[in-house]
Formats: sequence, structure tokens, C-alpha cells
Amino acid sequence: MSDEKRGPRNDPENNRSQGLNRDSFLQFCETMEDVSRTRSMNGKIARFAAYLGGLPGTGDVDLACRFAGEGAFPSVSGRRASVGHRTIGICAAEFCGIDYDLVFKPCRTATGSSSETIQRLMENLDEVRAKQRSSLPGLRQIESEFERLGQARSRDNKQALLHEIWTRLSPVEVKYFIRIMGQGSLRTGFEARSITPAIAAAFGADAEQVRYVHMITGSLGRTAALAREGRLHEAGFGLFHPLAFMLASPIESRSIGDLAGYVAEEKFDGMRCQVHTDGGEVRLYSRDLNDISGSFPEVTAVFAGKQLPPTVLDGELCVFRDNTIRPFQHLQKRMGLKKPSNKILESHPVIFIAYDVMFTGGRPVFDLPLGERRELLEDLSAEYHINLTRQYTIADEADVERLFNEALARGNEGLMLKRRGSTYEYGQRKKSWLKVKKPGGSIDTVIMYATAGSGRRGGTYSDFTLGVSVKDDDRYEEEFIPIGKAYGGYSNEELKKLNEAIKPLIADRFGPTLSLLPGIVVEVEFDTIQLNRRTKAGYTLRLPRFRAIRWDLTPADADTLRDVEKLYDELVNAERASQAGEMSFYRGGSRV
Amino acid sequence: MIYIEKSGWQGFRLPDYRVALDAGGHPNDHVFITHAHADHVPRDRKLTVHCSAATAALMRVRGFTGEARVHDFLQPVDLPGCRVTLYPAGHILGSAMVFVETDQGSLLYTGDFRTPPSPTTEGFEEPAGADYLITEATFSLPVYRWKPQEELFQMIREFATDALADGDTPVFLCYNLGKAQEVMHALAPAVDRIQIHGAGYGLCQVYTEFGYDLGNYETYNRDTLEGSALITPGSTLDSAMLGSIRRKRVAYCSGWASNDARRVQLNADAMIPLSDHADFFELIDFCKRMQPRHVYITHTPNPDVVSHYLSKEGISSSGMITEGKADE
Ligand SMILES: [Zn+2]
Ligand SMILES: [Zn+2]
Repeated sequence: MSDEKRGPRNDPENNRSQGLNRDSFLQFCETMEDVSRTRSMNGKIARFAAYLGGLPGTGDVDLACRFAGEGAFPSVSGRRASVGHRTIGICAAEFCGIDYDLVFKPCRTATGSSSETIQRLMENLDEVRAKQRSSLPGLRQIESEFERLGQARSRDNKQALLHEIWTRLSPVEVKYFIRIMGQGSLRTGFEARSITPAIAAAFGADAEQVRYVHMITGSLGRTAALAREGRLHEAGFGLFHPLAFMLASPIESRSIGDLAGYVAEEKFDGMRCQVHTDGGEVRLYSRDLNDISGSFPEVTAVFAGKQLPPTVLDGELCVFRDNTIRPFQHLQKRMGLKKPSNKILESHPVIFIAYDVMFTGGRPVFDLPLGERRELLEDLSAEYHINLTRQYTIADEADVERLFNEALARGNEGLMLKRRGSTYEYGQRKKSWLKVKKPGGSIDTVIMYATAGSGRRGGTYSDFTLGVSVKDDDRYEEEFIPIGKAYGGYSNEELKKLNEAIKPLIADRFGPTLSLLPGIVVEVEFDTIQLNRRTKAGYTLRLPRFRAIRWDLTPADADTLRDVEKLYDELVNAERASQAGEMSFYRGGSRV
Repeated sequence: MIYIEKSGWQGFRLPDYRVALDAGGHPNDHVFITHAHADHVPRDRKLTVHCSAATAALMRVRGFTGEARVHDFLQPVDLPGCRVTLYPAGHILGSAMVFVETDQGSLLYTGDFRTPPSPTTEGFEEPAGADYLITEATFSLPVYRWKPQEELFQMIREFATDALADGDTPVFLCYNLGKAQEVMHALAPAVDRIQIHGAGYGLCQVYTEFGYDLGNYETYNRDTLEGSALITPGSTLDSAMLGSIRRKRVAYCSGWASNDARRVQLNADAMIPLSDHADFFELIDFCKRMQPRHVYITHTPNPDVVSHYLSKEGISSSGMITEGKADE
């Protein structure tokens, strides 16, 4: 810290931006800053489109769109730089010459973002500014830096590389470098959905066609490159390029007007999966379009053995043992494993159950109505012995009720209602697929933190971290520990009342988050409980939401961590009706 | 050694000298109020207090009915066993740091302060040193470093004139005592008319009486709003009042505006990180200049960070947790 009084800080970024190369990474970063500051979506799109239009080469357009919407690597590649948050934080603290635990962590808590914290520390600390000099790298140079990072093996190598790269970047470049490396959102309020219209605007292409090409190629960069060169028509849906999944909406009320317009399938408690197969070549893709073939070798092997013609299927991975579909928690044990051992392959065997088909007979079929796709799928299933979900016709609510209860009895989550005649609406969450689910349970919790929400609820505390009691639990020193974060389930009225009620309980403030003294009890409902070793409690609630604010209860009435553990055991060990009678799906495609 | 105890919402007492700092409640205490922000004014509105002239006037607008013994800045007041002097704190109009000299050494209580000072205050001056320092540390992390005031004022003026030129009403969300008047002062040379919503108007009049230029301002009136800049507290962001103004552009003015997360949260058109507190670097520099034997750190969830940096400078310090929340 220097003693001299500070004058206006000279901002080299602004000075440099006058004469920036259009394909420089700094220009990209400043465009994203501008997009972030712009409030209207049309304004964001126009700014990004103008930037794309000004880029000198197709390769730059490809990279700019990839960096803005996908990450360091194309999302279809499934590659990642694999640099953990902690590694980045520790490396940044060391780079800035500050203590990681004592200084970096509270800064990150206050800003709510590692990358923003790093940017601001780099801007603010004179001694750090002194050792940074942006070499104004181009987008392609940044791509090769990501490549180097992706190939670095050890954490030490990665840290050394980061350190070296950061000395050649300015703070704002470092911020975006980190965000892009995370293969996630750049937090500019400008996501893939808005990048496609910007591509269309930049190159005078049809927005709908750009969106379609993005969906089938799964690549913003490639889409933009094709659009720039007027070659969008060349893109076709291809095998081994995952297609964005069609998503289901929660059912809002049990009484749908035209139930007969839907068919029902049981909703499995598994993991969504897309199978691409062509002869012995098989790839499995997860919901986020990552290649997960290696994690489920038994499924890959089964398909390879079938020698299918080019086919793309949508369905579910489930642990299946002793004729029952095992709970999701069993599948979780397999999900993180890149190379499962023989032991776990035996104890937690996974199968694929198909429920839709997107490519068969040499062409994409997602534009065909559900009934026709189902016929194609049944034919495939019969010929190649593929597990096929059972489909039920329904006439009224009584049917739904009965099927729903049967599904639960077999350990499934509930029902999927699918509209007859609907196409496969990839990448969209509409009302053509509806899910009917039963809450996994509910517990009484205490509000520990409140965070002001964004968007429409801006300025109001709308996200609540909920805790369970560990007061009499000798594994812990605190009174309450977090068990989940709930964003909804309350009415506007209740939210207002809640915002009033937290005021006298405020103990501390960390940026947008308030730390609260225990006082308000909330009954939360959740889908299920999951093991999560990274949390203090060791468990998290999946999709917790308010059922009721229990103004009548006090923190002493809150449920304990032991209660949660008991519930978890019950959920995992609940009796499950056997699939021996081929109830939820047709095994190996054979009809009952 | 001067014995210090916590008292009330955010305040302290020096029981040996019967001096209370931003805290009431003990009969026969000499109660010093640093400034008129609600979290520094005792709940008892009928108390007898010592403060600056402007603080007294501002407190009266906010409902204070007790006796105010008004002291000039830099004019020592002799009390039994000690001598007390108010130093201008640069935070809001009237804001003072309280300097207490005793035979046990001297103590400076900052209340809230900003250096360099806001132009709508009596400035910032500090004693040559203090043995004990009780300092606020609202922005206690090295991620907080403020842009120069002139740059921020320029942002404020440009935001207003750009909006007005496009036929939009520029709306500034800012706390109604201190920040509101500083923003108006910044706007004064650039806009013809300013409207202020809610309780802020009466507070502005005090500023005017004390000779600060807040421009041509009036209280909010929907019918005559067009062509004016509007000053309103952040709490009105989702109000029907703001909702009824169809063509507007909203700027949020606060030190917290420096955090990107705030932008997303508020969905404002512009974030102007104008703070009425010192930034982290100024805070550390200030502590160094006071050459204290010990620093007590308040108004922050992160006293340990400040302590860490002070210890690097060889200054001993500790956090002093007060109840209540950080104000604007
Ligand atoms: Zn204040
Ligand atoms: Zn204060």
C-alpha cells in the first residue's frame, strides 16, 4: 500500500481500446462488458452482432461465439480445462500476494464471484498492476492458451501456466479468461439463446434457420462460421453430435382439459441419456451434452453388440438389479466415475430404457408426430431388443391417479404425460411433455441466510438458505447447518411478510446476502435427498421449495440432521415392487 | 488505557468520562452524536445531545425534539476529566469524528467518514494522531477502491443529460440523507430541474440553509416530472410510483454498486459506485496516519481483514462487533 495520495487512476484499458485490433481478446472482453451493462435484450443482441460483423475472419467469429456461449472448448467436444475453483482462487491469491483464507475468501463472498474478485484485486493493488502487461493477444492465441491448460496434467502445472498467462493479460481479460475457462455462463445476461439471433443479425441470416443449425450442430461457433460464409444450408443433423434434449414442464394442476390428448409413461428416477449408435460405434450423451460413454461401459457394450444402423435414441439410464429399478442415489454412485471398477459394475449395473427416437432409417425424425416416432421406436425395439418404456393411453383423471400410484409403487418418480401429435421439440421446455411428481418429503428448517434475488424480484430477499439443527449433535459445533437453498413456493404476500420478518434478525451482511439469527421456521418440500460430501451436512435437498412458513414454530422445533439422515435411509431403502412382470418398460423390447 | 464499552445499537461509551458516542440511555452521560443517519442516532428522541449545527438541524427534520448542544468543528469542549473536539468527517453534512483527550491518552471515534470528503460536507480534517482509534470499516476489503469523485460526478451528469435528451426521466436511486444531496449537487450545473421523492425534501432544505447548492429542486410531482431528474430511495425501485413513470432510466448510486451482483439484482440501467464511506485503501492509510496504539474496527463483517493489513503496518487492532446492520 503506498502512502502517496491517489490522483485519478490512469486506465490503460480505455487508452488502448482506441486503437484495438478487432480480433483481440481485449476487444471481445470489452464487448462483453458492454453487453453486460446493456439492459434490454435487443440492445445486447445488437451490440454483439455489431462486434461479430466487424471481426476480420471466420475463425475469429467461430471463437468469439464459442467463448461467449460455450466455453474454452466446443461443448460438443465434451472437453474441459478442468481447473477447479479452488485452484483458481489459490493461484489468484498468490498472484496478488494476498492471503487466500484471510483475504481472498471474504472478498469472493462479498462480490459473489471468483473471477470478479480477481479482476478487482488486480486492478486495485499497485504491486499487481506493476507485473501485468497485456500483450493484446488475439482470440486464436487465447484458444491455444486454453489448449495448453487442457493438456496440463497436474494442479501445479496448471497453476504455473495460469500465473504465466495472467502476467500477459489485463484484469478484465483475466476475468473473462476465467469465466470462459469455467465452460459456463459469462454472467452477462446473454446466453446461447440470444447469441443465435445476434449471429443472424450480424450476417443477414434467417434467425429460425440459425437456431435450427445451432440445435443440430450443438455448436455456436460452427453455426456462426457457417452463417458468415452463407453455408447454413450445408449443416445437417449428424450422428455423434448430441442434440439438445426435449424437456418437460411440471404439471400445474392435475386437471388438464384434454387428458385424452396425452399418453402416459412412467417417469424413471434415473439420468437422461441420448444414445448415438452406428454399427459397433456407440456414444452416450448426458443432459448437458457431455460424452458419458466411458462411465457406462456396460450400456455402450450392449449397443455395440446389437450392430444397429445409424440411430439416435432418447431415454433414461437406471441402476437395475434384482428386477427392480434402484433409486437415483444408487445411480449417483456411478455418475462421477470415469472408469468404473468391475466391483461397482457388478453391484450397481446400469441399463438404458428408450422412450424416443430422433434419427433412424437414414434421416432425422424429430419432426414426425409422437405416434409415428413411437411406431419407429417400437420396430427398432422389437428388432434389436432395446428396453422400451411402456406407454399407456389415458382417458380421465382416474387413469392418471391409478397409473401414478402404480409408478410410485415400482419406485419410479411419477408419470410423464406426452401430447399426442407433438414433434420432438429439442432444446425446449414446453407443455408437450408434462411431469407429474410426488414430493419426496418435507422437513421443518430454519432460515439461515437470505439473498436478494435478481430480475423481477430485484431488491427483495427471495433466495433462502435453510438449515437443520445440529445443536445436540456432537459432530458439529454450530447450532444449525445448511441443508439446501429454496427459491420459490411462497406467495408474493408471504415473501413480503418474510422480508419484514428478517429485518430484526440480521446479524451480518455479505454483499447481497444477509446472515440471519435463527428465528423463522419454514416447512420445505423437496424431490429427494442426495449425498453431497462437499457440504457441511453431507446431504442436500434436491429442489427444495417452501410448503409453509411456520410462524407457529420456533427454531427449537426445527428438524435435525439425524432426521434428514433417517429420511435418506427410508428413501433409499423403500420397498420397490418388482419389474418381473415387465411393468414400467418392455425388457429387451419383448412385449408382454 | 481508556476503557470502552459497547452501548446501544451501534454506539460506545467511555464510562470513566461519562462520554457516550452515538449511544444514549445512561443518565448524566454526555452524548455525542456523530451524524444524523438513523443507525447513529439513539432511539430516545428527547435526549440532550452534543453535535454539530448541521447534525442538529438534520436530526430535527427527522423528528428529534430533545436539546442539542451545538459545537463548532475544531473547537475543544472541556468536560470533567476530558476535552472533546469535533472534526469534520466528510461523510454527510454535519458528520463529525469525535476526538477525546484524557490523561490516559486520546481517542478518536470516526462515526462514519469519507476521505477525500464529499463536497456537500464541511470537509474532512483529522487530528495529528490518536492513541486509540475506533473506526468504521464499511468497505473493509481490497476489492473496494473508489474512482475519483470528478469521474463519478461526470458519470452522474452524463447519465442525466443523455436520458433527458432522449425524453427519458433519469432516476437516481440513492439514500435520502447524504447520497441524495451529493448527487443533486453533482447534477446542479447540468440539469434545469430536480425532483426529490419522499422524506428527502426537508433534508435538502437544511443543506440549502447551510449554503450548499443542490440545484433547482422541488418535491416529487408526477404531473410536472417531465424534464426533471428524479431522486428517490432504493426502496422505491419496485414501487407503483416508479412503475407509473413509463419513460425512465434508472441509476443506482452506492458503494455497493461496485459489485456486479448488485447490477443483476437491481436490473438498473447504470451502476454508479459513489460511496459516502472511505474505500479500503483510504481506510488503511488513515489508520496509519493516526499512529494509534490500538484500533477498534466496527461496521463490518470482516474486521479480520483490516486487522491483517494493519498488523503488516505494525498496528495492533481488533474487531468490535456492534449490533445492527451496515447503513448506506
Ligand atoms: Zn452514516
Ligand atoms: Zn453508519
